[in-house]
Amino acid sequence: MSVVISLNKLSKNYGNSRGITDISFDISRGEVFGFLGPNGAGKTTALRTLVGLIKATSGSARILCYDALHSSSELRSKIGYLPGSLSLYKNYTGLELLHFLAKMRQLNCDDAIKDFAQRLNLDLNRKIGDLSQGNRQKVGVIQAFMHKPEVLLLDEPTGGLDPLSQRAFEDMLDEVQARGATIMLSSHVLSEVEHLADRIAIVNEGRLLVVEHISVLKERAIRKLDLNFDTEVSIELFKNITSIKDLQSHGTQISCSVIGSETEVLKVAVENNVRSVNSHETSLEEIFLDLVAKEVK
Amino acid sequence: MIATLILKTWHDRWKSFLGWALVIIFMTSIQLTVYPTIAQSGAAAKQFIDSYPDAFKEMFRMTDYTSGSGFLATELYSLMLPLVIIGLGVTWGAGATAEEEERGTADILFTLPVSRNQIIIGKIIAALVAMTILGSITLINIEIGKGLADLTVSSVNTLYATISCVLLGFFFAGISLILGSVSGKKGIALGGSTGLAIVAFLFFSLAPLVDTFDYLTPINPFQWAIGENQLAEGLDAIGMIKLGIASVALYCGALFFLNRRDIRA
Repeated sequence: MSVVISLNKLSKNYGNSRGITDISFDISRGEVFGFLGPNGAGKTTALRTLVGLIKATSGSARILCYDALHSSSELRSKIGYLPGSLSLYKNYTGLELLHFLAKMRQLNCDDAIKDFAQRLNLDLNRKIGDLSQGNRQKVGVIQAFMHKPEVLLLDEPTGGLDPLSQRAFEDMLDEVQARGATIMLSSHVLSEVEHLADRIAIVNEGRLLVVEHISVLKERAIRKLDLNFDTEVSIELFKNITSIKDLQSHGTQISCSVIGSETEVLKVAVENNVRSVNSHETSLEEIFLDLVAKEVK
Repeated sequence: MIATLILKTWHDRWKSFLGWALVIIFMTSIQLTVYPTIAQSGAAAKQFIDSYPDAFKEMFRMTDYTSGSGFLATELYSLMLPLVIIGLGVTWGAGATAEEEERGTADILFTLPVSRNQIIIGKIIAALVAMTILGSITLINIEIGKGLADLTVSSVNTLYATISCVLLGFFFAGISLILGSVSGKKGIALGGSTGLAIVAFLFFSLAPLVDTFDYLTPINPFQWAIGENQLAEGLDAIGMIKLGIASVALYCGALFFLNRRDIRA
């Protein structure tokens, strides 16, 4: 697949702890890429650099066939951007603002605006200043999607959206992905990214910790197993299995943590007439916290 | 796209413009209403003006007060008209980019497929049009009112004097714009440009009284705009050219600085 977004050692130095350092990754066409990190990790800085709002200190970034660091009007016409701290013109109605933005793009987006507003259940005739945070976010989402961009850069897109609107937003993402758009979305809500993104990057304190498919990350992650037997089983049977950690015996139950394949553990358990196995699926949040904790150490 | 930006700026600021326009109409009308009384009282008015301290008369260029041109120069063109046009100019100049950054709307505006140059140009054209309309309103008001008030003043000279006041507004709008482009802060843009206008006016007013201020007069924008009393003396093309060139230089400086820095989050 062709690479649409490419960051190469992208850095932004503010002269203090904020900013980003040597961020590198590629995002392919049609991919939904999650950009994760705690607050202040550098997600917004990276996205604002990609849309040309801030100047990188070093490194390079390309979007489609353009140098993103010398952001051209032509490139921006192909990008839909939703800022993290969304501020809109409060004296406009939603419709007036979206018409203005469409006009600035020299496009007629009336049908798209109407369609998205209906799906997000947004009243476009109310002044933005009178809208709730969630409804303002919907206006922000529509302005990012309405011109059918090839690339969507979304900073905390579902902040403030109610569950129904989040579902509508996810459907919109599926549709733009289906027509080949590339999506990079940042979030600190891990469960949200978990079912939206194909791959994720995790950043902390401006540094990239990992870029990986979610399934691979989960595969590599530590999983907890509870093995229940009818009779007491010696813990020694499991001690030589290299993938096991934190082995504990509680009467007829053996608990352990497994890194990587569970096959060997289950084989020994079956040989010893295991009655039931409880596997605790590791959430992305646990993986994330584990990675950040390792970084801090 | 620039036209769309100009229209948006007007959409955002028409109420503010209306306020400034009403102020200028009110001020001009009041002055024209008062003029017949001043003219009729001829000798008494002259005596009244003569009673002012020389320093005060020099500060406000209060010469030939009973003539139409002298009256307008003293009452309108020496302070009030420049003040109103500068007021509008610095407000719109600060609103061009600094206000967008301060309220966070710059993240939407500056990621549209338009260059930063186009954004500034669109916003400054909107401001220039507003200041030109204010000047035109004043001019029309005087042209209509001078017949009713029996005020004699050259229409061409009034046009020159008004153009100079508008150009002075262009200049201080440029100061406000460049301060906003450098800092991204509306307070600095507005405060800095207003402060500079006040200081420049003080230097201009006090220059006839304080010799040490004389050396600043040639570079004082108030001197370029109203120093030659165009209402009486006619065209001061050099002053206009200086104001025009300085304004364009300020706008170019604003483009230069804005293109080289980060947009505030």
